[in-house]
Formats: sequence, C-alpha cells, structure tokens
Amino acid sequence: MKITTYQFGEIEYNENSIINFSSGIFGFENLKQFLLLQTEEGLFHWLNSIEQPEIVFPVVLLSLIDESYPQKDTSEAFGVVTLNADPLKVRVNMKAPIYVDQKNKTGHQTILDEDKFVIDYHLFVEG
Amino acid sequence: MLILKRKIDEEIRIGSDITIKILSVSDNQVKIGIDAPKSIEVYRSEILAKVKEKLIEATERSKEPIKNVAKLKINKVQK
Repeated sequence: MKITTYQFGEIEYNENSIINFSSGIFGFENLKQFLLLQTEEGLFHWLNSIEQPEIVFPVVLLSLIDESYPQKDTSEAFGVVTLNADPLKVRVNMKAPIYVDQKNKTGHQTILDEDKFVIDYHLFVEG
Repeated sequence: MLILKRKIDEEIRIGSDITIKILSVSDNQVKIGIDAPKSIEVYRSEILAKVKEKLIEATERSKEPIKNVAKLKINKVQK
C-alpha cells in the first residue's frame, strides 16, 4: 500500500506496520490508524494518519527527556512535539503521553494526573 | 443536564460501575471521589481541552523546519 506524506514523500507500507489507536488520539478521535515514521537524524518520530495522510505530527521518546518517565507494559511513551522556527521554543507535551506498542502495533493516549508533568515542556536548552 | 443536590459523603451512581462521592466542600471548591473501572478514563475537562488544542497546534506546525538544533541539548528532567 502507498501513502503520500509531507516529510517522506510517497512511501510504501504494509498492513503489519499500521499502529492501531482504538480510541484515537485526543483531538483526532476519529482517526484510528497511524504509521510511526522515523527521520534519519533520529530524534523525532512522526505519527502520520493513514485515513487522513495530511494529518501528521512529530513525537519524541519521553525516556530521552526523563529516564524515569512512567512506562506501560511493552509500550514506549512518546510526547507530542510542537515545532518552532526557534528551536528554543520547541515544546513537548509531557502530560499526555502516547504509548505505542511496536510489537502488538497498538497505540493509546492517556493524561497523567501528576502536576510535575506539564503540557508545555521545553525540549531543548543551550548546550 | 440532570441536576442533583448531594450532601457531604453522599454518592451518585452512574450505570452499574461508576460511583461519585462528595468528600468535602469549601468556599468555591468541591472535592469528589470517583470510583470507576480502569477502562473508564477520567480527566479534568480543561486539561483535556488543552491537550487537544496542543495536538492541533503540533499538526499545524509540523512543517516548521528543524534547524540549528545541533548545538542545543535535550532539556533532561533532573532527578
């Protein structure tokens, strides 16, 4: 099967690479199937809707930011990234992780109750 | 909208397995306890709204160029 994506152009994918979000993602509850794509530089992944290929957003592995970020079974926790031309203004949502189980190809988003997890976390600081 | 009056320690049952209990009341704040199966997700509405808003923004900004990040480092959470 083929899909045209903004970041990667036309790509080929098969049934086995589809991540199923049975309850959707907050904001796109009607979209149930995504591809998790990775860029070469490696920091970001992209969740690209199959049903509406123009819907795509970057995510980052939250364990890269917080080694003790809450894990769930065999899933990896990703945070939605809001890009900005000024990299110091790039934000990541630590409050509402998207858990992706790459083995079972399922995804689920939740909201963590603890106040220490914020929606607008700065992803980068000066080196 | 169904409107009910409840006193402290009184409960409301929704369906067969959700119970909401009024724990305490102060000037303009009510503390409630919610018992529900794990599969029922319970969120503060304003936070859910903000999360949705952020996702729409992240989607709109997904075409922003990623540049000048090489000299930056990830803002790690300090233990």
